[in-house]
Amino acid sequence: MAGGGGGGESGEPEFQIAPMIDVLLVLLCFFVSITTAQVLKVDKNIVLPVSPNAKDRDQEMAKHEVAVNVRWDPAASRALLLVDDKEYPATADLITYLKGRFGVDSSLRAVIRGDAKLPAIEIQKVMNAVGESGIADISFAASNR
Amino acid sequence: MISRRKRRPSSEVNLGFQIAPMIDVVFVIMLFFMAMVGAMKVEKAHNTKLPGTVESKEETVTPDEIAIRIDDEGQVYMNDDPLDSPTTKDLLELTGNLNSLREASDASKSKVLVTIYADELAHYERVVDVLDALSRAKIADVTFQAGSPE
Repeated sequence: MAGGGGGGESGEPEFQIAPMIDVLLVLLCFFVSITTAQVLKVDKNIVLPVSPNAKDRDQEMAKHEVAVNVRWDPAASRALLLVDDKEYPATADLITYLKGRFGVDSSLRAVIRGDAKLPAIEIQKVMNAVGESGIADISFAASNR
Repeated sequence: MISRRKRRPSSEVNLGFQIAPMIDVVFVIMLFFMAMVGAMKVEKAHNTKLPGTVESKEETVTPDEIAIRIDDEGQVYMNDDPLDSPTTKDLLELTGNLNSLREASDASKSKVLVTIYADELAHYERVVDVLDALSRAKIADVTFQAGSPE
């Protein structure tokens, strides 16, 4: 008797292990890939402000982005600027670095990752530094929850 | 009668691929990643351009400008009118007003430009709340200014 579904001689459907493994592996690869794509560049010292209506990050722009991390130290009441894991105590040094990056990539976008408790004046200082380096395209990072 | 089993030489030991434990492991890993997706924080972004640095070939038309001020306590003002309370995160009144303005501008085929004036000690979180309200109202032309609107 011809029949689909892997029926045996007795007519009862058999459990096919090979397609099940295929499906499981595909699902596993999917979840692994989306998880690793999202945890990149996360600085645990920064609590991003929540903004559910912000846009998803443009994956095509990912290679043209430079993340400017702005931590807030409430004890010392001062902001710490970090770009590519290097601290920039003076904004002049940051401007020089960003100018260098912008010289190499003219479509560079500065992603400002500021702590939620950061005073707005510190963000304005970073925006000034980004503007002085010639970068016009900026983006404010936020969390979905 | 004592029967003695002969031990098989090591070369004959079955080291075959065991499918059941593999499926167990794959299931556990998959459940872990599925659970992680639900609890995962996704980084999003509000994109904008800094003023005065973008070249334009077309003549610039001055759009209707709206000033949104955020004071040190987090109170939001739209053209000097206080909206919502400093603790309201959703900023529903602001969003409603912005929606009305955007609809009016769409009807008159003009653009809405919003300038955000954040006081020095206003929290960045509050600025992002305002950006979120602007996203909800579908207003993309946003610029920043230090100090008060005067």
